[in-house]
Amino acid sequence: MRPLDPVTSRQRAAYGLAFFVLFVALWSWATFGGHVSKTFLANPLTMVQEGVELLTKHGFLFDIGMTIWRVVGGFALAAVIAVPLGVLMGAYKPVEAFLEPFVSFARYLPASAFIPLLILWAGIGELQKLLVIFIGSVFQVILMVAVTVGATRRDLVEAAYTLGASDRGIIRRVLLPSSAPEIAEILRLVLGWAWTYVIVAELIGSSSGIGHMITDSQALLNTGQIIFGIIVIGLIGLISDFLFKAFNAWLFPWKLA
Amino acid sequence: MTMLKIEQVSRTFPARHGNAPTKALEPTDLVIGNNDFVTILGPSGCGKSTLLRIVAGLDRPTGGRVTLDGREVTGPGADRGMVFQSYTLFPWLTVRENIAFGPRERGVAQDERNKIADAFIRQVGLSGFENHWPKQLSGGMQQRTAIARALANDPKILLLDEPFGALDNQTRALMQEMLLGIWERDQKTVLFVTHDIEEAIFLGSRVIVMSARPGRIKAEIHVDLPHPRSYKIKTTPEFVQLKERLVEEIRTEALKVAEHA
Repeated sequence: MRPLDPVTSRQRAAYGLAFFVLFVALWSWATFGGHVSKTFLANPLTMVQEGVELLTKHGFLFDIGMTIWRVVGGFALAAVIAVPLGVLMGAYKPVEAFLEPFVSFARYLPASAFIPLLILWAGIGELQKLLVIFIGSVFQVILMVAVTVGATRRDLVEAAYTLGASDRGIIRRVLLPSSAPEIAEILRLVLGWAWTYVIVAELIGSSSGIGHMITDSQALLNTGQIIFGIIVIGLIGLISDFLFKAFNAWLFPWKLA
Repeated sequence: MTMLKIEQVSRTFPARHGNAPTKALEPTDLVIGNNDFVTILGPSGCGKSTLLRIVAGLDRPTGGRVTLDGREVTGPGADRGMVFQSYTLFPWLTVRENIAFGPRERGVAQDERNKIADAFIRQVGLSGFENHWPKQLSGGMQQRTAIARALANDPKILLLDEPFGALDNQTRALMQEMLLGIWERDQKTVLFVTHDIEEAIFLGSRVIVMSARPGRIKAEIHVDLPHPRSYKIKTTPEFVQLKERLVEEIRTEALKVAEHA
């Protein structure tokens, strides 16, 4: 091993998998070996059995679907509002001066602390769940997009001006395309955070979703189900991240060229 | 007929952090006529790039004015094509799309602007690279594309700010010949900024020597070497003589800068 020495993609996959194996091995050692009480931590085998039961008998697929729909819905809502606003802030300094202080402040408001208030305003229906995701994502995206757009290379903007571009042309044909890959990365990142908000939203006042299942299982001390739920969230996150990355690479071939 | 007039143009950068204001450019006069190839030669920090940026409309003069064919320059525009020292191709556009950027902004239809772009791609010797991204090109190829991109707008005057400064010597010599070839064939009006004495003589019909701190025009030298010029001219006695003279002019300026630094 030498600093910054690259690894082949095969090695990369092997190393990545190895840690998962190590993780499960440690877990098995702790549970099957009797080092941790069954009440606190189920062993891997029980977890799988509980998972199968959840999927076949308790309609857990429906819960997974509900959770995905909430994340995607709330996140899409946030992106639709945040990306244009962030682009405007990045492009026009007066707009930035007007909105930046408030957005910076709002960014630190914890989305989960809004849940009681949102229940009061929107009830315990779907709207409330979407709003939690929305509040948790929208300010982050606005700010990060604004910074990205504002950091567009000045010499590219100048070159476009000397080629006869109008102010609108600068936004449409320089600022947007040059920031687009970064914006896509920001969305990928914030989508990951949105997953944590959705579970919190479902832990409180919900009758469906992965988070709801986890609270139910807690009441029954069924750690196998809880762990299965957590792992499902992790897997969905991994898959969505992979899809997002592949989509971005397909969308911006010039970045990789 | 193109006529660029620089009249009493000066530039002072405002005071910052308690430092005195910086006089980058003393009031300067310069007239560039139709199909002129003028090179501006000076050490770094002599305000030559500032002057060029003012002509391009990317910087505003503190005093004086620039007119192109009688119309005052108030901002950047397609009538003044610019090639920068840094690589400024749009990385998300292919070579062809980069060159077609200007025509596209003017609303030229796709077929038409592709035709324009392909003609310039041939002219700068990039056939076969139409669909490459800038990242896949060498520095010299990127600057050739940048020159083609500026020319595709058919500007009245072409402004070049040390466009070959980042290239190795061999590539630079080839680029100089290519640019001169385009000028000799198509008769363009060109204003070219450089700190390379040989480059200034080889390319220019006139060399404007600028002095440092504050920047002003120190001398103007006519280069009466015949056209078309090939790289062989660089070893002729006439060329060497001009070079010796300019070396002296520049050396005193460079010394001034070094003493102040």
